[in-house]
Amino acid sequence: MSDWIIRPATETDLAAIMAIEHECFPEDAWSQDNMHFELLAHHTEYFVAVRDEQVIGYAGLSKVPSSDQGDVQTIAVLPSARGFGLGRALMDSLLAAAKRLHAREIFLEVRADNPVAQNLYVALGFEHIDTRKNYYQPAGIDAWIMRLTIPQRSIGREPVVLGIESTCDETGVGIVRGTTLLANIISSSMDEHARFGGVVPEIAARAHLEALKPTLDKALAEAKLSLHEIDAIAVANGPGLGGAVMVGVAAAKALSIATGKPVYAVNHLVGHVGVDILERGQVETPTVALLVSGGHTSLLLVRDLLDDVELLGETIDDAAGEAFDKVARVLGLKYPGGPEIDRAAAGGNPNAIRFPRGLTQAKDMEKHRYDFSFSGLKTAVARWVEVAEAKADSGEGDELNIADVAASFREAVADVLVSKAVKACLDHNVPRLLLGGGVVANARLRELAAERCAEAGIELRIPALSLCTDNGAMIAALGAQLVMAGRKPSSLSFGADSTLPVTTVQTH
Amino acid sequence: MGHVLAIDTSAGTSVAVLKDGVALAEVEIADTRSHTESIGNAIQDALSAAGVKPNQIKSVAVGRGPAPFTGLRVGIAAALMFAEGSGAELFGIVSLDAIAKQEFAAQSLANDTAAEQPLLVTSDARRSEHYWALYSGLDRHGVPICIEGPAVNRPADIEASLTERGIVAARTSLVISARAIGELFEAQAAAGSLSHDITALYLRNPDAVEPKNLRDFGKKVSG
Repeated sequence: MSDWIIRPATETDLAAIMAIEHECFPEDAWSQDNMHFELLAHHTEYFVAVRDEQVIGYAGLSKVPSSDQGDVQTIAVLPSARGFGLGRALMDSLLAAAKRLHAREIFLEVRADNPVAQNLYVALGFEHIDTRKNYYQPAGIDAWIMRLTIPQRSIGREPVVLGIESTCDETGVGIVRGTTLLANIISSSMDEHARFGGVVPEIAARAHLEALKPTLDKALAEAKLSLHEIDAIAVANGPGLGGAVMVGVAAAKALSIATGKPVYAVNHLVGHVGVDILERGQVETPTVALLVSGGHTSLLLVRDLLDDVELLGETIDDAAGEAFDKVARVLGLKYPGGPEIDRAAAGGNPNAIRFPRGLTQAKDMEKHRYDFSFSGLKTAVARWVEVAEAKADSGEGDELNIADVAASFREAVADVLVSKAVKACLDHNVPRLLLGGGVVANARLRELAAERCAEAGIELRIPALSLCTDNGAMIAALGAQLVMAGRKPSSLSFGADSTLPVTTVQTH
Repeated sequence: MGHVLAIDTSAGTSVAVLKDGVALAEVEIADTRSHTESIGNAIQDALSAAGVKPNQIKSVAVGRGPAPFTGLRVGIAAALMFAEGSGAELFGIVSLDAIAKQEFAAQSLANDTAAEQPLLVTSDARRSEHYWALYSGLDRHGVPICIEGPAVNRPADIEASLTERGIVAARTSLVISARAIGELFEAQAAAGSLSHDITALYLRNPDAVEPKNLRDFGKKVSG
């Protein structure tokens, strides 16, 4: 009878694990630093078996998201606890984790002079594929390399999903296989909007129509696939600019009919959260997500990517990216404002001017705890600049210090975004924060988020920038999750919903 | 020529499947505000009703407008991606030309003949304006000959321009249909005048005013 429980290992198990490590592997035990690193690494999964509050065994798996292979790093059971099937139970936990992370092959090494362990692995389906001579030192014992091929579900392999994104000024086509990124092509109409100082919806929609085919063709070429090798099509049907979303939706439907492949209408904002799958193999939940772009400033609580996404708050006026664009205009800088202000802020003093932090006063926090407002900040900067320039003109003051204004403005935006996001994590007892959206490109926002999350003991996830800005890969990744979860495709009658709520992950 | 899928969303959502110039199936949804919702089922239903599989479609013919922006793009995007997915060849048709062809057919005008009066074809461009084009008759393959337009103007200005030049034009009350797009496609194929150009005919620039001085913003908010 098993009287133990198996649970994920944490840092606090380190001492107990090291004690077993030394007992089981007296000659070649890992160092404590090594083990510590293993426990904390993002690409590993460690489990401990506990009986009467004592750790009696442990095991670890390594699985890098970009690969479909995993490795059993180690497994050990106290001699006094052997012979009751605990080794097998720990292996079952590792294999379950490997399957969850979509591994297709698992490798391990075992001492050639350990038939008990070998028999266990054979019983689990591992085969002996190679031998490494004199692998275990100092004894000079050979290692058997063993491999387990994990059977893939239903369609016999991970689904290849093509994702189409057209909710703002980026035409994106991405292709994924399960949780693996195959292609991510983005065509932006940003340059066409520059002379207007902001995204013009009609220009964006026109550009989507023109970019659609070349973007799709490039994505297929990069993935080295033809349309017939695609298993499903996913499209962002909102939230976003109505006319722009419609282009992607019409395209996806026609592609679906012509190829006979199912179509999944997915939520653009939830796609920003789901993109983490492409780097980590999964979205660890619960997580708070802060999504900041030229069109959105949203704080989400994600308890389950497909079934439980809650909007905690959002901007009640301008999006943060819009505020950057508008303030850039005030400062005579180009569009898009984010990178321009970042550049201008270099060397500026972020504390030179105390610009207002919207909706952070006590009475606002009652009603708008997780909401944002940037319109007042934008006005405050404009007024400050106007007064400073008037003073400079009349000889009463120095010339406008653009670096200080840019740095102080940027600080105000980053401060309010990060404060509210961290607050949301703490309030909901959520140990991680995920950033998404184009404004994540802002260096100060990333820096401040890293600082404050470290202070609060919150794990911070920032996907690669090419996955943070609007892209088709995130839509494909979310679509693939729906396919793998066995969800039904959307009907052909869904529309473009410019205000699609985050609670609707898939439109049916 | 094989089967033709014809799509037009310059007014409502209209899809037809044709073979040798004869419509096998037509789907018409008059609503001018539900293109995105309608287009998928319209294509699917037209194919089913015609008993044609997507890979049997050899040509896709799509109406390029002119039309008010948003709906027009739905048809063009769908045509583009249907062709991409099915391997069919893609062609663009000026929607007003297709109306002219229908009207001349209704008048029983023979090929290679000028109409008694030039034909003025108009469609609603919203904002109190009309899209319009003027046609003299049919060429020897039955393709309407466009002598002016397509353009967008206020109805009174279109009339004044015609009157000024002493042009007395016939009118038509016909509205665009995908079947008409498909029939004109056949005539153009016979004439060798098919076009791969599927560019949307907006005939208007996007509604966006380029600020003369982007910095004006700063003064306005504080003023």
